[in-house]
Amino acid sequence: MAPTPWRGWGASRMAAQHDLHHEEHAEKHPSPRRYIQIAVVLCVVTLIEFLIFYGNMDSATMTGIILMLSALKFILVVGYYMHLKFDNWRFSAFFFFPFIIMISIMVALMALFSNLTR
Amino acid sequence: MQYIVRSPEAEHATSTGLNNRKLLMWAFLGSDAMFFGPLIATHLIYRTESIQGPIENVFNIPVTTISTFVLLMSSLAMVLALAGIQQGKMGMFRFWTAMTALLGMVFIGFQMFEFTEFAHKYGLTPRTNLFGSTFLTLTGFHGAHVTVGVIWLWSLLFASFRGKVKQENSLDVEIAGLYWHFVDIVWIVIFGVIYLVGAYGVEERVLNGAHALAGLGG
Repeated sequence: MAPTPWRGWGASRMAAQHDLHHEEHAEKHPSPRRYIQIAVVLCVVTLIEFLIFYGNMDSATMTGIILMLSALKFILVVGYYMHLKFDNWRFSAFFFFPFIIMISIMVALMALFSNLTR
Repeated sequence: MQYIVRSPEAEHATSTGLNNRKLLMWAFLGSDAMFFGPLIATHLIYRTESIQGPIENVFNIPVTTISTFVLLMSSLAMVLALAGIQQGKMGMFRFWTAMTALLGMVFIGFQMFEFTEFAHKYGLTPRTNLFGSTFLTLTGFHGAHVTVGVIWLWSLLFASFRGKVKQENSLDVEIAGLYWHFVDIVWIVIFGVIYLVGAYGVEERVLNGAHALAGLGG
């Protein structure tokens, strides 16, 4: 095996960075089979939501369950279909920081007009 | 089982180490989330404050559940189209892109049916009352987003037949897919919060509100 020619410390570091750069962009995406499994879960959860709506349940319990199921569907779509689970964490930061602001605005509005919301 | 994706466009060095176009799309989606959030909150605040117009539960939950299924299936079709182009399977990409666009059009059809039913059966339009204004503004903007997505998908499909969309630039499809899935997650929230939670026991809440207004001399 031929020895690797000396390229200097700077060149070596750049090569290492280049390799790292390539590694960062070699994303692993789930297989189509996994996508179909996720879709089945999404449909089943939607069906459960529908059945809960027509079940005799008190409003607070029903609201809590529906919100949790909606959050589950949201996480599955964002994590698997939008690949945030597999992508660089900074993409998640770019999405979830405004998302937190959005939730804060909603909570603030609801609190400000709490005399109207029942 | 997973497959490895190496996007050639992502290999241009950037100061962040991330693809700028993909980062821009995520930033846009974050801003779009901030657009929809206050619309949802406004509807939740004003939905029971109408002093005229329909006060009964106008939602057709079975029909909306079916349209939700349709949109969820369109997300599956979209991600299969992306898997197709990333693996160089152009036939798979074209079939699932067409399916995504068609399912999006079916969803818009459901929304048009709902709006028409509101207008003809209940006389509910954006001008009728606060419920109509806030609900139709929210779902109307969502429908507009779906329409933009459908046009985008058909454009990608036609561009692929002209050889402009290939495995090498699968990032174009990935970015369109991010937009489409975002439209889906907005609907997941609208369906849960506005339709199911909002419609549950709405008659009782509206009557309570009417009694409160009567007590105030309203």
